[in-house]
Amino acid sequence: MNWAGAVFGASAATALVGAVCAVGLKSIFHNILGFALAMLGVAGVFLSLGSDFLAVVFVLVYVGAVAIAMVYAVMLSVPLDQPPRPRSRTKVAGAALFAAIGAAAIWLVVRSAAWPPATGRLDVAAAWAGYRFLRDYVLAFELISVLLVVAMMGAVMVARRTRAGAEDR
Amino acid sequence: MTGTVLAALAAQAAPLLACALILIFLRGRPRVAAGTAIAALTVSFAAAAFLVWQVAVPNTAAVSQTLWLPVQGGAGLAFGVILDPLAVTMALVVAAITLAVMVYSTGYMRGDPGFARYFGFLALFGWAMLGLVLASNLLQLLVFWELVGLASFLLIGFWFEREAPAAAARKAFLMTRVGDVGFLLGVLLLIRALGVATIPDVLAAATSPAPGFTVPLVAFLLLMGVVGKSAQGPLFTWLPDAMEGPTPVSALLHSATMVAAGVFLVARLHPLFAAAPGVMQGLLWLALVTALASATMAMVANDIKRVLAYSSISQLSYMLMALAAGSVAAGFFHLTTHAGFKALLFLSSGIFIHHAHSNDMREIAGHEPLSQKAGVIGLVAGSLALAGVIPFAGYFSKEMVLGAMGEKVGGVVLALAYLGAGLTAYYTFRMVFLTLRGQTPRRPVARDIAPAAHAAGHEEHFPKAAEAAMAWPVLALAALTLVLGYLGGFFATRLSPALPHEGPFHVGGGALVALALVAAGIALAWYEFGRAGALRLGFAERVPALKSFFGDNWYLDRLYKATVIRWTLALSRAAKWNDHTVLDGASDGVAQGTVWGGRILSMVQNGFVQAYVAVAISVVAALGIWLTRTGGLP
Amino acid sequence: MSPALYLGFATLLFGVGLYGLLQRRSLVAMLISLELMLAAVSVNVVALTSLTGHDASMGQVVALILVGVAAAETAIGLSLFVAIHRASHSIDVETLSELKG
Repeated sequence: MNWAGAVFGASAATALVGAVCAVGLKSIFHNILGFALAMLGVAGVFLSLGSDFLAVVFVLVYVGAVAIAMVYAVMLSVPLDQPPRPRSRTKVAGAALFAAIGAAAIWLVVRSAAWPPATGRLDVAAAWAGYRFLRDYVLAFELISVLLVVAMMGAVMVARRTRAGAEDR
Repeated sequence: MTGTVLAALAAQAAPLLACALILIFLRGRPRVAAGTAIAALTVSFAAAAFLVWQVAVPNTAAVSQTLWLPVQGGAGLAFGVILDPLAVTMALVVAAITLAVMVYSTGYMRGDPGFARYFGFLALFGWAMLGLVLASNLLQLLVFWELVGLASFLLIGFWFEREAPAAAARKAFLMTRVGDVGFLLGVLLLIRALGVATIPDVLAAATSPAPGFTVPLVAFLLLMGVVGKSAQGPLFTWLPDAMEGPTPVSALLHSATMVAAGVFLVARLHPLFAAAPGVMQGLLWLALVTALASATMAMVANDIKRVLAYSSISQLSYMLMALAAGSVAAGFFHLTTHAGFKALLFLSSGIFIHHAHSNDMREIAGHEPLSQKAGVIGLVAGSLALAGVIPFAGYFSKEMVLGAMGEKVGGVVLALAYLGAGLTAYYTFRMVFLTLRGQTPRRPVARDIAPAAHAAGHEEHFPKAAEAAMAWPVLALAALTLVLGYLGGFFATRLSPALPHEGPFHVGGGALVALALVAAGIALAWYEFGRAGALRLGFAERVPALKSFFGDNWYLDRLYKATVIRWTLALSRAAKWNDHTVLDGASDGVAQGTVWGGRILSMVQNGFVQAYVAVAISVVAALGIWLTRTGGLP
Repeated sequence: MSPALYLGFATLLFGVGLYGLLQRRSLVAMLISLELMLAAVSVNVVALTSLTGHDASMGQVVALILVGVAAAETAIGLSLFVAIHRASHSIDVETLSELKG
């Protein structure tokens, strides 16, 4: 049995179902849940490719952190007692059109490239990623860390309530 | 620079300086302004006298120029002065009459609120006229020609607050403009054919014309300017209307000097005109018709200034007839004497107009005209000169004119010219008798003339100084009319040496005929107007159709109003419509289109982020496909 | 497994995310759609590097960096979202049009 193919099929289906829920459903909570489902599916896709580390990272970060953060943000601000506003049909049509254009363009560009054939060796283990990070891409690694710190600080500062009349740094 | 050139430049510079000083600084100081102008013209007069002594008496000729605009491969544009007997004599005439008129004006214009401005404009005219006379280059002459027209406009419309003078000034300017277009075209053709416009060169080229230099065409075009400026033929109706200006202005510009500029031009360029005999023949006929027509109009006019205006037109025609017949000396001699006695007549009439507050001869007659002694002397002397009674100046110059014509023209023309002389005597003495003989009306006189067209707001009775200022120039000019006649030989030797000339005391057959006609004219005038118990109604005035025909400029103004003016106004209405609707509409439309286009374009910037994303996606998609699939950039 | 399947899946996911980005009114919904798009990109990179002749670990590195960046961006985006809501009491992107003109 082609486990990779099966895993891929199931995960892809899950991911697409989740994605459709994430963009199509009306309630924001349903969207967030759909998003989590989609990320689980993507993790499964990575598994089918053999990148187990990446799959786990995806689940940890997206499902575990990002989705929860979104729930928090929604809880803090969205007026949940208001009914969802109606969707304008032109907007839906236009969005679908441009999305189709974008997707078609990507498909055409990617398919037109002459990808060199597989060499058979699959260096997708976590260890290999670690090797690359700490040897060739150590600068990128450090920069990502800095970026995360700065993003944290920035997020806190932006969302902070400023006291009226006082300017504290 | 030699003394003569310096004198020529000084003669022009002094009035220019005076004009600038007066109009800029001295507007509020009328007496200083008048003094400045008179001083400047005295300088001009002295310079002109010096020039006459140095140039005209020894009969030399010189041209002094400086190159103003060098042209590669050509002679360039040179301006300067031409110093020969014709130019300097005319300069002396202009300076003398201008000076006399200025002195007279200190009395006539006393109390007028625009007194200083008046003298400024007179100085402007003096500069322009002297510049015209002494110009060595046709373009330079044209510039001064136009300046003289400007001065005329400013002075005719001096009392611009009233509609009549303003309209008359516009009419004068526009009508002479019509002629000036021809003049300009002629000068331009000349420059195109010859490359230069210097007068000596033009005259030399006229006698041996280069190919492409059609002398008759140029002559005809230049004559258009003459016809306009000297009020001949179809372009004469501005001159009677120009009498709306102050009387000294009429004396200076519209009888003695400015209108004579056309005659001067023909005299100046005589070799050119002589090389186009067909054109000269046309001029002869035109001038003849004008002479007779204006004489008929003078016979029925009741405004004393209008009589004199028509008379000026008539005498200008005689000058042009003499020139057309080939005698520069005769034409110019008549110009000189005419300047003297016509100015005299105008100034004398000004004395009467001032006294009676009216231009109408019949009203002047009712205001004790004989009490104005200087006026009476001037009027009578001038009239005798104008009519051509021996020994006054007009007789000699008119004899010279008729004599010159007798040599060249046909019998019909000559006969009509003599007839004109008789009519001149008739209308002149009609004027004298109507003015001076006390009014004994047989029937009420219709008040068909507007009250006096002179300064509003002066005192009833003039102080002695003003009256003296008006009297002395009149008396001086009256004395001149007795003397000027004997200068005929002077002009003949210097201006037309090729033509035969008998001395002033030769009274030939033609002269006797003329004197007889003159006597007849005066007798008829005395019979109809002068003697006690006369009806005071001329033979032409008895026929109402003739009276209205002669009195209304032979209906020429009506003709113009119905045709030229109507068409021009229609054309201007069309142009105005074009300007408002088409041109303004187009530019407004462009502006509106731009605003509208901008509004449409700004719809792109709707602040709607998702729209921006959509556009970005499309562009990237297109770019990607172009680059990878169709092989765009390498 | 042929790369085409993975590429097709990634493209579909990207398209769905793009649709959501363009169509949804709420800022959080737009953020979710953005995350979907980024995930699709990661799948693309990893699939291509794994299944063709390129260096597979390179793909992993890129995907991991992408995860980091996406997480940071989500954090900032959510805090911005909170701040905007506090300032204008609206999270409707159609009414936040002060870039207009």
